Amino acid sequence: MSLFEPTDEHRQLREMVRAFAEREVEPQAAAHDRSESFNLDLFRQLGELGLLGITCGEQYGGSGMDAVAACIAHEELAAADPGFTLAYLAHSMLFVNNLYQNGDEDQRQRYLPKACRGEAIGGMCISEPGAGTDVLGMTTTARREGDHYVLNGAKMWITNGAISDTELGDVFLVYARMEGAARNELSMFIVEKGFEGFKLGQKIEDKLGMRASPTAELVFADCVVPAANRVGEEGSATLHMMRNLEIERLTLASMSLGIARRCVEIMNDYARERRSFGQPLNRYGQIQRHIAESYAQYMAGRAYAYAVAGRMKLDAPGQRLDTDGVKLFCSTMGKEVADRAIQVLGGYGYVGEYRVERLWRDAKLLEIGGGTVEAHQKNMTRDLSRLDRLR
Amino acid sequence: MKILVPVKRVADPDNANKVKVSDDGTKVTSDGLEWKMNPFDEWSLEAALRLTEDVSKKGMKGDDGKPLDRIGEVVLVSIGPKDAVQTIRQGLAMGAERGILVEAEDSSLDSHVVAQVLAAVAQKENPDIVFLGKQSADGDSNVAGTKLAEMLGWPLVNYATSIRTEPGSDTLTVTRALDGGVQTIEVKMPCVLTSTDRILHPESVKNGVTPEDHKYPESEGGRYASLKGIMAAKKKPLEETTLEALGVTPKRTEEYVKFALPPAREGKATVVESVDELVEKLHSEAKVL
Repeated sequence: MSLFEPTDEHRQLREMVRAFAEREVEPQAAAHDRSESFNLDLFRQLGELGLLGITCGEQYGGSGMDAVAACIAHEELAAADPGFTLAYLAHSMLFVNNLYQNGDEDQRQRYLPKACRGEAIGGMCISEPGAGTDVLGMTTTARREGDHYVLNGAKMWITNGAISDTELGDVFLVYARMEGAARNELSMFIVEKGFEGFKLGQKIEDKLGMRASPTAELVFADCVVPAANRVGEEGSATLHMMRNLEIERLTLASMSLGIARRCVEIMNDYARERRSFGQPLNRYGQIQRHIAESYAQYMAGRAYAYAVAGRMKLDAPGQRLDTDGVKLFCSTMGKEVADRAIQVLGGYGYVGEYRVERLWRDAKLLEIGGGTVEAHQKNMTRDLSRLDRLR
Repeated sequence: MKILVPVKRVADPDNANKVKVSDDGTKVTSDGLEWKMNPFDEWSLEAALRLTEDVSKKGMKGDDGKPLDRIGEVVLVSIGPKDAVQTIRQGLAMGAERGILVEAEDSSLDSHVVAQVLAAVAQKENPDIVFLGKQSADGDSNVAGTKLAEMLGWPLVNYATSIRTEPGSDTLTVTRALDGGVQTIEVKMPCVLTSTDRILHPESVKNGVTPEDHKYPESEGGRYASLKGIMAAKKKPLEETTLEALGVTPKRTEEYVKFALPPAREGKATVVESVDELVEKLHSEAKVL
């Protein structure tokens, strides 16, 4: 057993997800990238395997596994198709794990079993057209009216917000501020497709990468949400958000690891076979630098990510510095490794058939989504400024 | 119904080009390759699981907590070093009930010894079917199943492409692919079967319990172990035994003398002008007609 597979179950999980990714996910990746479409049937197969509720309790249809398992699943799926994996992450981490950790018994019973089976596609809404890294600058409001709340505002860049050009995703955790509440007091609501005043603003088209995951703007125009769908107390959701952002960053970083692994494999293979001036490419120092540095950086990121995952508790915050750090390092590492893979493959690297151009486009998103690298730098420096010595 | 499924671990067959011959030619090395379940065994395991399940009760549990979709028993057996338990665990995670590891050094085995061991296990377990892969992806001998049937004195159907039976019946209706067509055989249990990849076809296995119109998903291999399966596999019984304990005195019939890679292909291509010229060259130069 190793840092990357601390138990035999983790090893088997990796074997299973890798076999599934190679046989079922990889073959469809290029087509869904090209058509900017979400593969719903394949997504539902993840439910049968128990992956959609990987960290959710078994009593709600989940698999009850830990942060390391979540990393393994995201790393292995992203090696085949990061776009598809992003939709998986939004559903299984941002919706299922978030509601499992923060919801009450009734909310868990009502929403989690369906989500774990893939019958309902979920997501989470924080960003807004005018508020990204400045999370607490969000302007979506909620007000209480009798037995329900009324939400107003718009949410942007919502993965799984739409499952086709015209159709909303099924259920979302939406962060909003009670009218008149303090800047750092957010509240969270479960909003379903079909609630009055909840609309698809637009499915966002023409993304650079992650095209197999649907992204949308969602609009709340006097949206009516039953009081039973408020998660936690009014004003208490900032803590939920911080807690869930840690596993979000860690699994996003794991996606970069999957991208990096695939790119190292592809450039290594190519440099062994392709000959230039009478010998294989990998005999040349320039190429050796691309391959060796990529591998070392991939392994460094991997060691950092799994070390943090191994000590992470899903029900408590406390790993912000290092989950930010892992994503800061791995996201840029993944993009750079993909870039080197293109360089090693030359002209072939620049076309879709060799996969690395798609991985490169997908890798870029991870420097932006789920926290920009600048946000990680800001958070980390603030946390570090409170420390005199590192342990 | 009780089915015994032998599973062998082999060096990852998807990377078979990385298998090397040692410098002295005494052995084939597969250093750096992962161990995988022999894909031919995986197909037979999948068929065995289909024969012993009721898909309409998938995910349902009885009052005793036991899964209601399992209506028979699949017992895995592997012969090899301790590490081979990982291959058994994989099969348990896919859904088999229990496993048996017969400890032995890989180098001490040949098809005959494997058949001897499987015969001893079959006599102890009394299964209705021993369901093997038709061959292993490393040695590719395609012998063990046939030898096993001979040793047990049980009927044998090699290369099964479909199986049909009814609950309580002691007979299987098995089709097998031959060069000239398809043969349909009625076979009494206990029997020995081997399969081809067509056994994975969505409608190849009908056990009379799973709804007649059920279609399994198209797949190149056996089912994936779900996370539930992986967790449940931890608690499933896994017995470890030895050749001595089974009363087997191994009698090797094969000795490998020397291994060598095939000569590199010359890659010479000849362009012909007409079909007549092609036929002429195939006859006079290639001497294949």
